[in-house]
Amino acid sequence: MPGLRIELAVAVARTLPWGVVGAAGAAGLLIAALSRTTGEAGDWLALPLLRAAILAFAMGLVFLLDDPARHTTSTVPTPRPVRTVLRVALVAPAVAAWWTVALLLVPSDIRPPVAALTLEAGAAFVLAVAGAVAVVRFSDLTRPGPPVAAGLLTTALLALLFWPGRWALFVPVEDDRWAAAHDRWAVLLAGAVVAGVVWATEPVRRWSLRRAGPR
Amino acid sequence: MTPTVSASGLSLRYGGTRALDDVSLRLTGGVTGLLGPNGAGKTTLLRVLATARPADRGAFTVLGHDPGTTRGRQEVRRRLGYLPQTPGLHPDFTAFEFVDYVAILKELTDRGARHREVRRVLDEVGLADVRGKRIRKLSGGMRQRVALAAALVGDPGFLVLDEPTVGLDPEQRMRFRELIARAGEGRTVLLSTHQTEDVAMLCHRVLVMAGGRLRFEGTPAELTARAAGRVWSSAERDPDAKAGWRTGTGTFRNVGDPPDGADLLEPTLEDGYLLTLDGAGAEVAA
Repeated sequence: MPGLRIELAVAVARTLPWGVVGAAGAAGLLIAALSRTTGEAGDWLALPLLRAAILAFAMGLVFLLDDPARHTTSTVPTPRPVRTVLRVALVAPAVAAWWTVALLLVPSDIRPPVAALTLEAGAAFVLAVAGAVAVVRFSDLTRPGPPVAAGLLTTALLALLFWPGRWALFVPVEDDRWAAAHDRWAVLLAGAVVAGVVWATEPVRRWSLRRAGPR
Repeated sequence: MTPTVSASGLSLRYGGTRALDDVSLRLTGGVTGLLGPNGAGKTTLLRVLATARPADRGAFTVLGHDPGTTRGRQEVRRRLGYLPQTPGLHPDFTAFEFVDYVAILKELTDRGARHREVRRVLDEVGLADVRGKRIRKLSGGMRQRVALAAALVGDPGFLVLDEPTVGLDPEQRMRFRELIARAGEGRTVLLSTHQTEDVAMLCHRVLVMAGGRLRFEGTPAELTARAAGRVWSSAERDPDAKAGWRTGTGTFRNVGDPPDGADLLEPTLEDGYLLTLDGAGAEVAA
């Protein structure tokens, strides 16, 4: 059914919240572009600006699963995981393009290590989407974006302020913990992917601690 | 007659609240009404039967398929139409585009046949003239009909409608009743409603729920008969009545256990419903 798959992709693409994702992307690019105007301070500002840009775009990606027709389409035979994967796949090229532009906006002489920053961006984006997936799975909200955005922003701020130093994530390039921090980013990314995949499924049975015996 | 839906022992809890408590039922062709007060478990039951959420316990089949397995649920969903209590739509889609989107999600593969089907259901709900209009520009009643068209697309054998007439004006409600009656020809429709008139006018069977349990299952006439000899008229509100209200003529209509020599009235479905709720320990609003 390749024809149907294309039609499904086109239809789902039309339901995506491109406006909010685009606005967050534009805000992120503006933040990244600030590194061109910071003069000598750019050396140490480029990294936090790129991290802020990542956070801004991640704040837009949490709206990816917002779907006002969620309940109207909750019992169609096309499974929810398929539709979730399709939404992610449709936006993935735009995310890759956005990240490329964001990196290019930072002058090459002050640009932080691209691979490590890409890992941070990947983890942040996957965490954002996994948060939205969790809200869809465990609530009836049609718009998981706002609560997940608030949660993501709060978590990021709290992590910056209170995250234990020995598990540091947001370290400067010259810091001795840079490599170890990115090992942790890799673990975070893997954890977010696993959580996102698990939460994206649509169980046919409801499991709980109270449950006993077959359904 | 082979039932379209056969359920036994369905139970579901939300935290400490028992939303469904050992519900067993059988649904056959035609329109079955589901009555109950707020919080009775109607929407939960509909969501479970529509495969929108699994139950904690119990089992059921829809058109011979078991939704307790992934494959069975898929088969049920291919034969199911569901109109939720608050049907959301994509406001930037036209009515045609939205129903076509749902038809794609319902795996209607052939484009030409699918578009014919979309036009058919839009025509059936009386939206043929506005099918190219954006949903954001349609009235509330028209949006409700778009959602009904989305539920009807693909000609489902089992149609689940959760309070479809809420928020509609009397004319729209009458129009919706016509649609539901037509939808019940040749398929099984489960209609949740607060409106006893909906049930009286549309349904060949009626279920009454309270506190997560089924309190009555039978015909509308049987539910009405529960109030036979238990509805009376009086000049003042009878303090012993389960429910009583002043009518347009200035007399009181009382429901409950009448005093000797009371001026008995012909019961309605609503009277039977109120007495059933009262027997179930549910609050009866006068």
